[in-house]
Amino acid sequence: MVTSAALYHLMWMINITIDIRNVCVFLAPFFSSLTTIVTYLLTKELKDSAAGLVAAAMIAIVPGYISRSVAGSYDNEGIAIFCMLLTYYMWIKAVKTGKIFWSALAALAYFYMVSSWGGYVFLINLIPMHVFTLMVTGRFGARVYVAYCTLYCLGTILAMQISFVGFQPVQSSEHMLALGVFGLCQLHCFVDYLRGHLSASDFQVLFKATIVATGTILAVITGILTITGKVSPWTGRFYSLLDPSYAKNHIPIIASVSEHQPTSWSSFYFDLQLLVFLFPAGLYFCFRQLTDANIFLILYGVTSIYFAGVMVRLMLVLAPVMCILGGIAMSGMLNRYMKDVDASPVILGMPAGNLAQGKQGDKRSKHKQESNFVMKSEIATLFVAIMCFFLISYTMHCTWVTSEAYSSPSIVLSARSHDNSRIIFDDFREAYYWLRMNTPEDARVMSWWDYGYQITAMANRTILVDNNTWNNTHISRVGQAMASSEDKAYAIMRELDVNYVLVIFGGLTGYSSDDINKFLWMVRIGGSTDRGAHIKEWDYYTPQGEFRVDKEGSPTLLNCLMYKMCYYRFGQVYTEGGRPPGYDRVRGAEIGNKDFELDVLEEAYTSEHWLVRIYKVKDLPNRGL
Amino acid sequence: MSHTRLLFLSFVIVVAGSAQADLVNKNVETVVDISSQLAKISNKVTVENVGKTTLKSLIFGVPAHLKERTSFVTAKVGEHLLRVTETKLSGQDGGFWKVDLRSDLAAGRTLQLNIDLVLSRALVPHPGQITQKEKQLVLFEGNVYFYSPYLTEKQSLTVNLGTNSVESYARIQPVSQSDNKLNYGPYEKVPPFQEERLNIHYENNSPFLTITRLERLIEVSHWGNIAVEETVDIEHQGATLKGSFSRYEYQRESQSGISSVKSFRTALPASAVDVYYRDDIGNISTSHMRVLSDSVELELRPRFPLFGGWKTHYTLGYNVPSYEYLFNQGDVFVLKMRLMDHVFDDMYIEHLITKIILPEGCHSIELTAPYAVERLKDTLHHTYLDTKGRPVISVSKRQLVENHIDDFELRYNFAKVLMIQEPLLVITAFFALFVLVIIYVRLDFSISEEEEHSRVDREHKDK
Repeated sequence: MVTSAALYHLMWMINITIDIRNVCVFLAPFFSSLTTIVTYLLTKELKDSAAGLVAAAMIAIVPGYISRSVAGSYDNEGIAIFCMLLTYYMWIKAVKTGKIFWSALAALAYFYMVSSWGGYVFLINLIPMHVFTLMVTGRFGARVYVAYCTLYCLGTILAMQISFVGFQPVQSSEHMLALGVFGLCQLHCFVDYLRGHLSASDFQVLFKATIVATGTILAVITGILTITGKVSPWTGRFYSLLDPSYAKNHIPIIASVSEHQPTSWSSFYFDLQLLVFLFPAGLYFCFRQLTDANIFLILYGVTSIYFAGVMVRLMLVLAPVMCILGGIAMSGMLNRYMKDVDASPVILGMPAGNLAQGKQGDKRSKHKQESNFVMKSEIATLFVAIMCFFLISYTMHCTWVTSEAYSSPSIVLSARSHDNSRIIFDDFREAYYWLRMNTPEDARVMSWWDYGYQITAMANRTILVDNNTWNNTHISRVGQAMASSEDKAYAIMRELDVNYVLVIFGGLTGYSSDDINKFLWMVRIGGSTDRGAHIKEWDYYTPQGEFRVDKEGSPTLLNCLMYKMCYYRFGQVYTEGGRPPGYDRVRGAEIGNKDFELDVLEEAYTSEHWLVRIYKVKDLPNRGL
Repeated sequence: MSHTRLLFLSFVIVVAGSAQADLVNKNVETVVDISSQLAKISNKVTVENVGKTTLKSLIFGVPAHLKERTSFVTAKVGEHLLRVTETKLSGQDGGFWKVDLRSDLAAGRTLQLNIDLVLSRALVPHPGQITQKEKQLVLFEGNVYFYSPYLTEKQSLTVNLGTNSVESYARIQPVSQSDNKLNYGPYEKVPPFQEERLNIHYENNSPFLTITRLERLIEVSHWGNIAVEETVDIEHQGATLKGSFSRYEYQRESQSGISSVKSFRTALPASAVDVYYRDDIGNISTSHMRVLSDSVELELRPRFPLFGGWKTHYTLGYNVPSYEYLFNQGDVFVLKMRLMDHVFDDMYIEHLITKIILPEGCHSIELTAPYAVERLKDTLHHTYLDTKGRPVISVSKRQLVENHIDDFELRYNFAKVLMIQEPLLVITAFFALFVLVIIYVRLDFSISEEEEHSRVDREHKDK
């Protein structure tokens, strides 16, 4: 956000009067183009410029990254990936050269990353892991020491300036690895220094003593700090990373987000296609020529593929490394076979030419075995052709995925009518704009948290809960209100001081991700805190264990606030020919509770296709009425 | 009666002895049209100079309770517009206007004039709150008689209601109702300044839309284009909606929410292109454009139907070619455009701000407005490729109706050489950039030699 403001002011300074909204819309594409450049630089550092070019070309169209960087996706992730790759690039530079300059730049890039995305935790664990691996493999030296110490000190101090982070870098367990490795660096250096000055036997004694002593002291300190609460226990999000089933069992709010679900195999292929197969090949190429930098790449690849498997959202972290490894693999393979293709026309086309003879002679002397292969150039040509085919199909696939899945705005829905003309459902904006224009400016709107950001931005009204789900109990309270009967809900709404309630209802148009389909999550989240203990998920199922909205449905469901708000007066509407009135097109059922009036709410607005329904909370009735 | 007479006499003494009492309204035919949200009063007046001197002007007015509501006044003889200026009569609290006659009115001669008035906000919703099912009833409080400082010998009044459902109306005999009209009069020998409330309570479901603020931005480019952008705040100021809004009833029953406004039509100039219709949260997808021979008609549908008390806000913009509006002779340019344009029929604008952005380097700017407007302070506007900023002329006016659509004239000087300033600016900027790059690439800025060696070494190693 600071970035877009800075860009905006810069543009205005040179009299480019661009709207701040346009800056925001084009920020993600702008940064993704920068990402492409950084990917090239990074891959060039890791391998060579050919691999860099392939990797940059791949990341330019990889759907996994495009999903977050299309124009208009104004999210932190768009910038964050750029920052992450920039940090990696600086880090690799620092490790290679051992210069404070690069590692200070890496710290700055890291600071930018911290300020933009919570996913910086991945970064601050990956780099220490790299250092640690270098130590274990005996590649640790002065260069790595300088690079890491500078990065850690500067980076941590800078990161602590961000109010959201605060003292976490020294307190929370997520950052402990970095701190530990920092300590280990000092020890390792010290030990190296001592080794140079002491005899071997003395050194052995001292070494053992030091290890035991430090180990004990560390254990004691960590124990004390954890008990006294100075070191915060690991947060839920982190647990769910390590154990995919953790969230489902313990924190429904994390599990309710589709982005936090474990990734299916098909979505790997959908988002990465060819790269899935090139990934192991790229790893192979890295292992074959092991350097400090390659170790980093291997670590990055392996960890991120694990995390991406745990959570769909982290596909974003995986996509760049997939591209880099894919680029390395592709360029490695092509490099190898391209040479042979080149040679073939010379041999076949000019059998008597001097050049050809000279080349043949040259080859014979140098690679005797290679020339023994039969049909060498044919095989090479075939191989290159297959690779080209793969690359082309990758391009086609990326274009297709991007246009089908990631390009349509989620706020304006479209459908095809019978005569194949396009119908546009602009109901969200219709209702949000109604809220913006026709409610008091200080009105408080209650809705499920999915719509929080949209309402804040488009309707410019105060909401109770939004997509920044830090306040777990508050969301739970809203879930309780939605899941309770009208009287109880009214008490909760008075307590939360709500003026308007907004629900999304797709029963008329057949929009399936509406609030009734999300309702079970509201029940689960509502029931997950102490105050919502009376809300039990099983009350909302039929005795057979089904979730039904028709007559068979459980009475608790048919009388809860959410049900009533969605289906108010819906019982009279004919939705589909040949069906009874009140036929819900999403659930495919005639609703069970048709004729009811709302006591504590009144319909304030319903959008044209009934997608958004807004209710006004009535004031307390006058006494004696 | 005699009291009024006395006052009138005193007025005659005060007002420069122009012998106003020498005029008599021989016949007045008034038509009041209150079928829309405005009250349009047109008087066909025959005046006679019964005095001995030649007259140059005459005066007419409205009673005090209509004074603030009068938005537009015009007087015509045949097709010729007469100059009308607001004036005051001492001892009278109504609003008065003085009409300058084109030719002198000699003693004993008669003259037929058309005096038209447009009243805004004269129709008050009554009751002020209705539910979605109810129809909108409004109350009109006018004046039965032609309000004039002269004796009116004969007057008749026709009220055009646009509906035949009338709750009540003032029974000032003789009066009759026929279909959707009320016929009053003829009344004879009406004394000057005669007031009698014309109260009519009737059904009026026409759109009661008020444009609370219209900001019109005209950006002139000498490269052949004029961009117009109107930012409109609209409020439905009819009877406000009481209770809930039911989408079910609104969709099912055509009578439900009959006073609400679903859409309206805006007429743009015939040469308008690149029309856009949007608001703070993006394009409004519900609009249709039709290109007619003399205009471009837009059917604008706000995102939601407007019920009483509901507001909306949008921006409408388009481009027109400048040759239709911008004329020049040498370095002197004249811009002739509408100060405001049509938004919907029978519209009422509470507050209009028109801003004209001229190209950079214009000077000696003179504005001629078709009617009195408040000229705001000139400002500067900075946009693409500007150095010192473009002059902005802003004017503001309140209480406007459709009849106010008229051209202004803006005269300014602009040296044509300045046209190539912007291309030159771009060329210079790129040239400077290329020169910098050339210098950077050709020269070596490294301080020490070592760096160079180590780099070469590494490149060797890489190979």
